[in-house]
Amino acid sequence: MTSSRTATLQWASLLALTTITFQIAQSGMSGWGFILPILLIILIKGRIVIDRFMELQGVAGPFRWIVLGWLITVLGLIAFAFHLTGDL
Amino acid sequence: MAAISSPLAVPTARRELPGDLAMWCFILAELAVFGIFFITYAFARSANVAMFDESQQHLNRTFGLVNTFILITSSYFVVRAVESIRHDRGQACARWLGAAIACGALFLVLKVVEFVAKYEAGITMSTNTFYMFYLFLTFFHFMHVILGMVILGAIALKARAGGYSRASHAGAETGAAYWHMVDLVWIVLFPLIYVLH
Amino acid sequence: MQFKSQAVAKPYFIAAIGLFLGQILFGLIMGLQYVIGDFLFPAIPFNVARMVHTNLLIVWLLFGFMGAAYYLIPEEAERELHSPKLAIAMFWVFLVAGALTIVGYLAVPYATLAQMTGNDLLETMGREFLEQPLPTKVGIVIVALAMLYNLSMTILRGRKTSINLVMIIGLWGLALFFLFSFYNPANLVKDKYFWWWVVHMWVEGVWELILGSMLAFVLIKVTGVDREIIEKWLYVIIAMALISGIIGTGHHYFWIGAPAYWQWWGSVFSALEPVPFFMMTVFAFNMVNRRRRIHPNKAAVLWALGTGVMAFLGAGVWGFLHTLAPVNFFTHGTQITAAHGHMAFYGAYAMVVMTMISYAMPMLRGRPANSERSQVVEMWAFWLMTVSMVFITLFLTAAGILQVWLQRVSSTPMPFMAAQDQVALFYWMREVAGVFFLIGLLLYIASFFIKGKLPAHTSDTLATGKQRAVAEA
Repeated sequence: MTSSRTATLQWASLLALTTITFQIAQSGMSGWGFILPILLIILIKGRIVIDRFMELQGVAGPFRWIVLGWLITVLGLIAFAFHLTGDL
Repeated sequence: MAAISSPLAVPTARRELPGDLAMWCFILAELAVFGIFFITYAFARSANVAMFDESQQHLNRTFGLVNTFILITSSYFVVRAVESIRHDRGQACARWLGAAIACGALFLVLKVVEFVAKYEAGITMSTNTFYMFYLFLTFFHFMHVILGMVILGAIALKARAGGYSRASHAGAETGAAYWHMVDLVWIVLFPLIYVLH
Repeated sequence: MQFKSQAVAKPYFIAAIGLFLGQILFGLIMGLQYVIGDFLFPAIPFNVARMVHTNLLIVWLLFGFMGAAYYLIPEEAERELHSPKLAIAMFWVFLVAGALTIVGYLAVPYATLAQMTGNDLLETMGREFLEQPLPTKVGIVIVALAMLYNLSMTILRGRKTSINLVMIIGLWGLALFFLFSFYNPANLVKDKYFWWWVVHMWVEGVWELILGSMLAFVLIKVTGVDREIIEKWLYVIIAMALISGIIGTGHHYFWIGAPAYWQWWGSVFSALEPVPFFMMTVFAFNMVNRRRRIHPNKAAVLWALGTGVMAFLGAGVWGFLHTLAPVNFFTHGTQITAAHGHMAFYGAYAMVVMTMISYAMPMLRGRPANSERSQVVEMWAFWLMTVSMVFITLFLTAAGILQVWLQRVSSTPMPFMAAQDQVALFYWMREVAGVFFLIGLLLYIASFFIKGKLPAHTSDTLATGKQRAVAEA
């Protein structure tokens, strides 16, 4: 696949994942069946941007892990905060 | 390294960080600030769940969704721009960047519409803690979109003037990285503030 | 020293050190007044001693920054200063205005001083650190503008490096934010809000640009590390300083009547203010580690490294300790504040000025470094002052913790003066540490007069350790 074809597929995936998030949001659900999928989708979308768009996958040095670590830490702590309130 | 010395080892080609190291330090700093705010938001919410959830209902989720599409698309355009310059196509690079900047402008317009609607409804940062976070975070992000557009604009002009080539385009990669950071932040911000309850 | 006009820096540096000595003497007076309330009353009441102490601090640091600018900007711009005569003229204007102001504080009651100097025309007096009479404030603006004109013209027609650009931007910022000292609203909330536009925007804003560029300049000179590397570090450091410091102003807006959202923003952004100081420390040690030359001025290297560490501890760590709103709610306006203030000002700004003087003064006197004996005395002075300051800070921190506990946290809170009685021991200990600080300062001054054999010229080296041993054998 050419790199532009790959990029287009990644873009389409991101749009699709965003649409799924929106549908879940409009569904009126709540609780962990609602929050967990959304957090996971953020994680997947974030990873696509970090590894593919930012091209951090395969880069020498700690940067990929720092940025991925940022995403995981932030989402993890958000999950914890929602767990504290009983929503998750 | 052992990996290279053994004939059976698969050589792992570790690429260089795309763009300027100083910009990556800046990106990490920005991510740190936004990250702290996201986490603070989540914990602040836990102190007043009902109020946060109720106020969130008044946000325009459709605008948020459209803005997410816009930013993701702009990032895609930036990827195509960098790819163009890697094939020595400076004019194409400038055009892709122009498209990305146009997306950014559209994002800003929609955001302004949202802000004006809130202002007219009498909502300010002092209304309650949820709105304080919502207005501040989206405004702070807004300012970063503007900065990103300026950076992309500078790169687009240079690309159009033939200032980059396949061999030398670190500046383009640097600016691209910043834009992707702005997109990445929104990817967390939108679900967190507009959706999660 | 490469350009003759750099010589104008010398009087600035001498004035700086002289005023520093004055500042410390008045500090010691106040330290004693904390425990012997009537000491020197009514000749020099506490509030007068305090004005003299704080105003002298600011003025000597300003002399230091100006001297540093007049030294480093011509060298970076690779041309002579635009007008050495103007620089010397402004030196005298600033020195005389400053001296008269101090005399005014000491000689007449403050209200009389206000009347004598036209405070009724535009009321700018009466606020902490900004006690200067209107003519003095105007004089500061004139001196600053003249300096900015002089230095900007030098840079405009010369080489533009990140060091001289960051320095001049910092200096412009210093001058612009000082203008807020003329704005003294009647509304108490606004008064306090804008007061910080001088103080915070100075010490946690544009002064950090000045600090960064001075440190970078000295490090390039004494380590020989590639300019590009140092410049890159400088940009990232000042970016972090501005990102954290501008909205970080909000950590002064928690309790003054400003909107409550400042408690959030001020906490989050100011929590990041230690980052640039941490980076400066790593930067300084990193540059010295990979140095390409062993500069004979060892004292200057010591000062540069020390500045990074003490600035990080005093401004960064001690600042962080009380920057979050929930903590600050209890510690606001206590000896915790004083502890932070002392170590921060000393570690960041006093030390960077002394770093610059340590490097530049020998050059201004015609040699790359002072004699071995002189440098040893200077390094003793460094350690005495720095360790004394650490102890001053620790004692004030202890006093502060006890004060907060007794006065605010305890279930039976004590009134202010009763709590002060309880922490008196720490004030005595602080005063003793202050005396040692003065001894250090006197040694520092003495080091300028010590003669001896001047060291050999800089030796270039690829490896640091081995060749250094060979060169010094």
